[in-house]
Amino acid sequence: MTFFIEVVLSGLMAGVMYSLVALGFVLIFKASGIFNFAQGVMALFAALTLVGLMENFGFPIWLAIIGTIAVMIALAWLIERVMLRHLVNQEPIILFMATIGLAYVLEGMGDIMWGSDVKVLDLGIPQGASDWMLDNFDIYIEKLEIFAAGTAAIMVAFLAVFFQKTRIGRALRAVADDHQAALSVGISLHTIWVIVWSVAGIVALVAGIMWGSKSGVQFSLSLIALKALPVLILGGFTSVPGAIIGGMIIGVGEKVAEVYLGPFVGGAIENWFAYMLALAFLLFRPQGLFGEKIIERV
Amino acid sequence: MDQKEPDTDLDTFPKLLASHVKLRPTRDAIREKDLGIWQSWTWAEAAAEIRALACGLASLGLKRGDKLAIIGDNRPRLYWGMTAAQALGAVPVPLYQDAVADEMAYVLDNADVRIALVENQEQVDKMLEVSERCPKVEHIIFDETRGLRHYEQEFLHDYEKVQLAGVAYDHDHPEFYDREVAAGSGADISIMLYTSGTTGNPKGVVLSNDNVIITARNGIVREGLTADEEVLAYLPMAWVGDNLFSYAQSYVAGFCVSCPEDASTVAQDLREIGPTYYFAPPRVYENMLTQVMIRIEDAAEIKRKLFHYFMEHARQVGVRILNGQSVSLKDSLLYKLGNILVYAPLKDVLGLSRTRLAYTAGEAIGPEIFDFYRSLGINIKQLYGQTECMVFICVQPDGEVYADTVGTPAIDVEIKIDDNGEIMYRSPGVFLSYYKNPESTASTKTEDGWVHTGDAGFFDEHNGHLKIIDRAKDVGKLNDGTLFAPKYIENKLKFFAFVKEAVLFGDGRDYSTAFINIDLDAVGNWAERRGLAYSGYIDLSNLDEVYQLIKECVDKVNQDLSADSRLANSQIRRFLILHKELDADDGELTRTRKVRRNFVGERYDILVNALYSDKTECHIDTQVTFEDGRTGSLAADVRICDAQVFADSSTDQEAAA
Amino acid sequence: MTQQSAAETILAVENISLSFGIMKVLDSISFDIRRGEIRSIIGPNGAGKSSMLNVINGFYHPQEGSITFKGETRKQMAPHVAASHGIARTFQNIALFKGMSTLDNIMTGRNLKMKTNLFWQALHIGPARLEELENREAAEKIIDFLDIQAIRKKPVGKLPYGLQKRVELGRALAAEPELLLLDEPMAGMNSEEKEDMSRFIIDVNSEFGTTIALIEHDMGVVMDLSDRVLVLDYGKQLADGLPDEVRNNQVVIDAYLGVPHEH
Ligand SMILES: Nc1ncnc2c1ncn2[C@@H]1O[C@H](COP(=O)(O)OP(=O)(O)OP(=O)(O)O)[C@@H](O)[C@H]1O
Ligand SMILES: [Mg+2]
Repeated sequence: MTFFIEVVLSGLMAGVMYSLVALGFVLIFKASGIFNFAQGVMALFAALTLVGLMENFGFPIWLAIIGTIAVMIALAWLIERVMLRHLVNQEPIILFMATIGLAYVLEGMGDIMWGSDVKVLDLGIPQGASDWMLDNFDIYIEKLEIFAAGTAAIMVAFLAVFFQKTRIGRALRAVADDHQAALSVGISLHTIWVIVWSVAGIVALVAGIMWGSKSGVQFSLSLIALKALPVLILGGFTSVPGAIIGGMIIGVGEKVAEVYLGPFVGGAIENWFAYMLALAFLLFRPQGLFGEKIIERV
Repeated sequence: MDQKEPDTDLDTFPKLLASHVKLRPTRDAIREKDLGIWQSWTWAEAAAEIRALACGLASLGLKRGDKLAIIGDNRPRLYWGMTAAQALGAVPVPLYQDAVADEMAYVLDNADVRIALVENQEQVDKMLEVSERCPKVEHIIFDETRGLRHYEQEFLHDYEKVQLAGVAYDHDHPEFYDREVAAGSGADISIMLYTSGTTGNPKGVVLSNDNVIITARNGIVREGLTADEEVLAYLPMAWVGDNLFSYAQSYVAGFCVSCPEDASTVAQDLREIGPTYYFAPPRVYENMLTQVMIRIEDAAEIKRKLFHYFMEHARQVGVRILNGQSVSLKDSLLYKLGNILVYAPLKDVLGLSRTRLAYTAGEAIGPEIFDFYRSLGINIKQLYGQTECMVFICVQPDGEVYADTVGTPAIDVEIKIDDNGEIMYRSPGVFLSYYKNPESTASTKTEDGWVHTGDAGFFDEHNGHLKIIDRAKDVGKLNDGTLFAPKYIENKLKFFAFVKEAVLFGDGRDYSTAFINIDLDAVGNWAERRGLAYSGYIDLSNLDEVYQLIKECVDKVNQDLSADSRLANSQIRRFLILHKELDADDGELTRTRKVRRNFVGERYDILVNALYSDKTECHIDTQVTFEDGRTGSLAADVRICDAQVFADSSTDQEAAA
Repeated sequence: MTQQSAAETILAVENISLSFGIMKVLDSISFDIRRGEIRSIIGPNGAGKSSMLNVINGFYHPQEGSITFKGETRKQMAPHVAASHGIARTFQNIALFKGMSTLDNIMTGRNLKMKTNLFWQALHIGPARLEELENREAAEKIIDFLDIQAIRKKPVGKLPYGLQKRVELGRALAAEPELLLLDEPMAGMNSEEKEDMSRFIIDVNSEFGTTIALIEHDMGVVMDLSDRVLVLDYGKQLADGLPDEVRNNQVVIDAYLGVPHEH
């Protein structure tokens, strides 16, 4: 039993990472209808920048984080200026292609600026197993993972309040609902895009920090972006809670499948399980768990 | 329990107000939801508002004995208008806010109103429309300024300006207010309430302070009400019930009254306030239940099953639990589980989760409806009352609640049944007179203070509770001499959710027949679930399936009637579903939505005649008033259907027993 | 309707021409709107009425002509700039934020009235919170004004059509505009709803002094409400004047009123 719980918990923790990346996707997709292929690379880029600021410039942690946030905001502004502004009203597929381009640009930029070797990210986040959990429940779980889950929860709560209760949050939702109407009440799409991409950048930073602290900052980080895709299919492309819960389900599902089904099929289920699950969803519930029903209007 | 002798010095509302300012100055006296927030006024604040308004009214010339009309939705300022008038010894006359200008003109003129305090532009417009017919009205004060900016008549006054003038007047005449209040006494006229009048013009019921205050206090004593009650004032201010529950009893007991934000938000406001003490005519309880049922039918399968399962359990044991009778441990546990899963959430949705006492009055309530609420653990009780005695005649005592009786006489009320079966009473609440109408006063109230209720009834031999069968004048006879109690049968019909209104005919005829109005919500929903297409009320009411549905209801009523030998012969032989909804705007219902049976009978005499022929269909052309006041005509072919008649089964039962 | 003898001109449109490809939608249109008036634009379907409003609030950019709003002459302006200068509008096909509640829609309408920056907003404290409360009160006043308290918290996508139109008006009012553009606010309503909406339009005009440009097909409503009426037909300006003048103008009767035109 404890073993099962351990498996589930470690699945949940991995799921939180997926959720964070998926969250970035959802934000951008909701506000601008763009499927941002570069979300994973943004996490990598943010983590690289953070490490770079600390290693190359000797910034203390807090300053490095603030610096990275500033860089992500500048990046958002740049993306709006250079890319979105000129592609407004284009087909979604063109915008999608543009984000693929963006992914390569960011990857290249990270490479050029900070080099391509694996870097250790040490923010002083506690490492090792949580003794408390081990003593009281006999369950092995890493402190980092608890920390990651906690951070993710705080961030989601923060975003929820921001979206529901503030002017800018409402403006973001307004833009997601109806561009024309949003314009007519004086919301500037350009500003909103910068904000959304900034928020997505900050979410990417958090994801990058978590993942980087666990496995080092390396280019494979951008690959978790691929895991976010099934998460989105599960949770729905427009639902923030969907992204969170979808991430958890995928995380837990693949770990449990790996441990309990893996031996029968020769292992490595973890690599494709998420996609199978997503495929099943595409067949039976294409709008995802929480997504709005896709209704073709006559 | 030692009963504190009521303070007889507090014999007027302004005096009661002053006592609360001393006793509980910082407690809330009244609340109103405005701009999305509950605004409240303490007793001290309310008293200051009232004082300023009273002085303002005085500066406009309102004097002892003058009448102040009050027209609008329940709002603190309008309630304050009542006390302000009473402080000056003037008489508040609340009018139904949804009355059309014509109806208002009669009352304004008949009551000799000098000043009208109205809510908003809508009411001002009505007043202006009839101003020529009401020359005695000198000033109109309005609460809401919206839309009135460009009205330039000099007799129109902004409420706030009147209060400001009042503050100045108070400053110049500092003793004035207290002197006027001190001059009032219990014998003075407290209020005039116009009865809606099923026939003829409305009559102004003149009630003294003693009438109102003693009756209010007796009600409080009998039910153990305290200053901690929460009450929502949402029924028309012109209705005696609102005046008693939301005004008089609040002033006597000192509890806070809340005014809803808008007529359309009452359900929401009810939930937010969570009244401990609640009152509504049966119609409101009925509507709430219908809404619940519609929502349940549309809910998910599991929810629906759960609801029906636990409601069935509640039906079996809920009432007994409420009455304090014992039930088996299993039943009691199951009821507790049901409470968590169904009853408590349901009560919360209805806004009745804190309700300790709920009254229903005005007319009989369907036993199913009644039991539904009681089985949920809501202590709903029937009340039998009239404007002529400030409401209370009979009340059902706690733990002795039977759906078919109205309980025992209220405190200080004497009741007797006269030779014609009419109920008569005498009490401290008995009104002084009908305003300027000595004939009616004399024919209603005897020399020694007994009042004719106009209702026929008797005391149940087993439990001593009063049972009402019908209006005394409406209880008629079929040609074969059988007792014909139309309202009694109509109510039985209306107990079915599908039947909204029923009108029975039979007095002086060979047999009983009925007009039915279907409930558009309930029947419409029923039809939709069966995939029946219809385009509107007329269409729906003409469907075969709907006729069959209603026939089943009528048949059940007939079966019921057949169990009582006195009524068995009055079973409904033929009925029809009326092609239009009965409407107060067409005069078919009173403003309190009671059916005007004679009027309906005359208006649709073609249909009545058809019911007493062998026709199966009848064409009719009807004049109707649309909501915007225009009139037009409505033509339809109405079908007539025979109902099943049952053999008199009462004798068998008696034989068996 | 208030008397506007010497009122200032709030908006002047001069020789506006707008084409989509080869199709000329507006052909050298000139008219003005005076502060405080209700100015109607009528014309058959496809006449270019909506396009005219779209030009005024910056959705469409005309190829020729100029617009003078509050004394400043421009060739075109971006919609959010138009909004920030005091132009608010409703749409012919309701364009509400469907997923949001009535209250949130109206609060969004106050977007430009709220100034605190992203930093305070993100923290949801200090000035942002205070500002939120102040604007909530303003929004509540509009809810009260339009008598939509009962649907305050309901998602607008699920509301009946007539109420959605009302919420849309509320959202436009929330901006406290100087010029309010209403594109067929009563289309598809029954007579009672129309009467309510007319009442609101009159009240907005007289209580807040808001200048209103109104597109409407119901001639009864137009004649009742308007101070002046502009008639368009296939992008051309047919007539412009007092309701009575327009009603009796033979060209208009032939082109528009003469044809039985029940929307
Ligand atoms: N964005 C656009 N692209 C192409 N054509 C357009 C566009 N907007 C409007 N049009 C065309 O311009 C013409 C005028 O349209 P507009 O919507 O202004 O008319 P309208 O007077 O508002 O008509 P209605 O009474 O039907 O609303 C129409 O032929 C329409 O098809
Ligand atoms: Mg148009």
